[in-house]
Amino acid sequence: MGEVLAKPKSDVLQGTLALLILKTLEHGAMHGYGITLHIQRVSSDVLRVEEGSLYPALHRMEQDGWITAEWGTSENNRRARYYRLTATGRKQLAEEEKNWARLTEAVASVLQFAQ
Amino acid sequence: MSLLSRLKGLLQIRRLEREVDEELRSHIEMRTQDNIAAGMPPQEARYDAQRRFGSSTLAKEDMRAMDIVGWIDTIGQNLRYAWRMLRRSRGFALVAILTLALGIGANVAIFTVVHAVLLQPLPFPHSEQLVRVYDDLRANNTHDVGMSVPELWDLQDKSGVFQDISAAWPVDANLTGGEHPDRVEFLGTSTSYFTLLGVRAQLGRVYNVQDSRPGFTEGIAISDGFWRRMFGLDPSILGRQIRLDGDLYTIIGILPPEFHNPGRSLGSEVEVFAAAGFNAAPFPTPPQRASRYLPGAIARLKPGLTVAQAQARLDAFTAQLSREFPVEYPPAANWGVRLVPIQDDLVGKVRAELLVLFGAVGCVLLIGCVNLANLLLARAAHRQREIAVRQALGAGRTRLIWQLLTESILLATVSGLVALLILAWSKSSLLSLAPANMPRLNEVSLSSGVLLFAFFVSIATGIVFGLVPAFQMVRPNQVLNLREGSGGSGTSRRQMSISRTLVASEIALSLVLLIGAGLLLRSFGQLIEVQPGFDPHGVVIAKLWLAVPNDPAEDHYGTVEKRAAFHQEVVRRVRGIPGVQAAAIGSSTTLPMDGQRFRLRFTIESQAAASESTPVAEVGSVSPGYFGVLRAPLLRGRVFSDSDDSKSQPVVLVNDSLARKYWPSGDALGEHIRIGGPRRRDGTPAPWMTIVGVVGDIKSDGLDTATAPRIFLPLSQSPTYDAVVYLRTGMDASTLGDSVRQEVQSLDPSIPVFGVRTMDAVMKDYLAQRRFALELLGIFAGVALLLASVGIYGVMAYTFSRRTNEIGIRIAMGAQRRDILKIAIGEGLVIVTIGLAAGLLGSLVLTRFLQTMLFNVKPADPLTFLALSLLLAAVTMMAGFVPAHRASRVDPMIALRHE
Repeated sequence: MGEVLAKPKSDVLQGTLALLILKTLEHGAMHGYGITLHIQRVSSDVLRVEEGSLYPALHRMEQDGWITAEWGTSENNRRARYYRLTATGRKQLAEEEKNWARLTEAVASVLQFAQ
Repeated sequence: MSLLSRLKGLLQIRRLEREVDEELRSHIEMRTQDNIAAGMPPQEARYDAQRRFGSSTLAKEDMRAMDIVGWIDTIGQNLRYAWRMLRRSRGFALVAILTLALGIGANVAIFTVVHAVLLQPLPFPHSEQLVRVYDDLRANNTHDVGMSVPELWDLQDKSGVFQDISAAWPVDANLTGGEHPDRVEFLGTSTSYFTLLGVRAQLGRVYNVQDSRPGFTEGIAISDGFWRRMFGLDPSILGRQIRLDGDLYTIIGILPPEFHNPGRSLGSEVEVFAAAGFNAAPFPTPPQRASRYLPGAIARLKPGLTVAQAQARLDAFTAQLSREFPVEYPPAANWGVRLVPIQDDLVGKVRAELLVLFGAVGCVLLIGCVNLANLLLARAAHRQREIAVRQALGAGRTRLIWQLLTESILLATVSGLVALLILAWSKSSLLSLAPANMPRLNEVSLSSGVLLFAFFVSIATGIVFGLVPAFQMVRPNQVLNLREGSGGSGTSRRQMSISRTLVASEIALSLVLLIGAGLLLRSFGQLIEVQPGFDPHGVVIAKLWLAVPNDPAEDHYGTVEKRAAFHQEVVRRVRGIPGVQAAAIGSSTTLPMDGQRFRLRFTIESQAAASESTPVAEVGSVSPGYFGVLRAPLLRGRVFSDSDDSKSQPVVLVNDSLARKYWPSGDALGEHIRIGGPRRRDGTPAPWMTIVGVVGDIKSDGLDTATAPRIFLPLSQSPTYDAVVYLRTGMDASTLGDSVRQEVQSLDPSIPVFGVRTMDAVMKDYLAQRRFALELLGIFAGVALLLASVGIYGVMAYTFSRRTNEIGIRIAMGAQRRDILKIAIGEGLVIVTIGLAAGLLGSLVLTRFLQTMLFNVKPADPLTFLALSLLLAAVTMMAGFVPAHRASRVDPMIALRHE
């Protein structure tokens, strides 16, 4: 998976992007640009979040009540919208992490079986 | 959903959009900064940041494109709907289109003339540099005294303001060698003439400075019209020789058809252009500074020089020349040279007139618009329900207003097209209505500028007459209208007050036009009341020209005696033509209303002081019978007799104006005057001449100008080469012309007879320009009066039809018909009074622009103002009275049931 192409129809990838965002926000509030940088850096440039997908995802998550947003000032004194996890969001994160672990485990066992 | 929550939702969406925008922008900024920090060039850094949003920006563009498509779609829908509506009400559409086509057509027609005559620059490169040069004697306020050859040379070589200057000297010439002698319109110019104007030949070449000779240059250029008339467009014409005034000239070039000499000519378009150096025969040599026989010049200013700057430099230059030649330029005369931009010189006289007509025709269109607006308002009642339904179904107010405007603009555009078709079809017959002496008339065409004007006028018309009704029809609280059905007095009150205001403004505009036309009519009346000082009825004139060959030895009429003998013989012979009661002959400057002037300075022997300021008089030579044929009265002394010839004492007649000016209390009879300087061209002393009679003033320069001082010389003592034959007769000009031609040519077969017409026709031509303005403005005012009457009739009729119910109640409650009529007339009176007051005010402001077109009438002439106000009041009140009267006679029972 070189790139997270969160097209609306691919639910798996959609879910993955949400997981990545939620995980990123676990350590504190962050603006959209910060989220893309964080994911890219931590994944050693393997995962890239396309802007065109990030913001629709953020707004959806905001509407679902997983995150909240408020205007703040960035490190460079720029006005930016900061996103923060809500309680629901934390629960959702735990859920998603569990799902992800189950999924990877399942995929791994299939792969091991094939060898 | 309530309106409030819908509004709130709308506001929220707006805010959200703004926030998203800002968030994305800040994201792009941050990415750009980081990109730059990573070493990307700024441009690329920003591009990369934006590209990552690629798909979403594209989506936005798509949205915008959708907008435009939707917009065009809406226009299309509006147009289709408008078309259906108009087809459904054909009667209304027809009336509207007829009214508007008339209004727009008249506007486009006048604009076409304004465009060709005033707006379009003359068809010469950098025509703004071209000027006409006139000599003035500023002390006597005498303009246009003519230019001498040394002055022309000084202006060319020493003044420093001209790139080029050329004499422009229109003269007659006799074309011989054909079956009959023919007269041609001949322009003597300098060799620089065509270079100065920037004109090339369509065939062959035009002359230039290299062709310069002291006398006439042999190579001539001819006009396209002359090529057509004389040679049937024969392409092998170049190199052909023609004989003009006895001299052979070679045709070296044919001028393009669109070229016209930008200046005066004698009787028609210039046909032959010939260059001269004015420094050898047939011109007097050496040229005298005081001999101003050139009627002025045209010139091209140096680039970058404005007319005002050039004029300032010329003033200094002429002042210096005056000091240098104090004899030729006496300080008391204050000689100077005046520059007039060539376009002003050509069209200056008609400018005010055309602009007034343009304004008037605009008023007519405006009045038409007001009427249609009223008609639309009346129709609004029927469409109220339709509009209300559409509005209730969710059509926006803007959309509906646009819908209604589309209908009116469509109407106006169709009308504009109809108008253009009619104009294109009737162009030539319309143009023949304009006076023939209107300058640049041949340049009138339905050009792209005119089409553009027609388009914009149509659109503007549609908006003007549609806007008020559209706003009135589509008002926010339309729920009411749904319930209201055919509508009671509730909604219509506002509508009625709009209608009344419109009609009042219509009356005001009509009054302005009526007063304008009335003032012109009154001045025209004053003008034709002016006694011309002679009796033009029953006089036929014919013109002659004795050729002036370039070689004096060839001149058959080179001496005073020979010319005098010829003139005498012509008079004797034409007097014998059956039907001719009396005959006379005079120089061409003696023909009244012809616009030709010949001004000379003179001195009075007994008045040295007055002579210091060099008095100027118009001079002409006449045979003894002149005053008898024209029935111009002799006031004192005697007229000329056959015994006043070259051997007898030199005598003159002066007109009353001259006698009064210089002998206010005494008698001019027996006094001595001298024309020109103290010496003749040949150096002999100029003789003193005795005043033997004083004749009544003849209004030669026009009925509206003060008569200039005038001196008549006996033709036998000062016979000219140009001549006008005057015949008093009951016969018509055409048959008489042939007889005169026969008699003259039996005397000398090389002499053409031309310009045969009645003196009445000459007078008619003189009045043509004024008559044209008067007739057009009169027609416009008449149309305005009609439209205003129709307008007030319509509004009153509509008011009362809507108030039938109320009137029924009033009558049922005991009101007399007289009371109803009183109310009705009272309402009409209010509208008319307001309209008249506004119109009078407007007229006071606007008639000032008529000033130059008025004669003996003040722009604020109380009689005209009063009479036309009364007329308009009477007509409009009558138009309003008819429906009021009808309303008062309504049967109360029917009225009460009326819904």
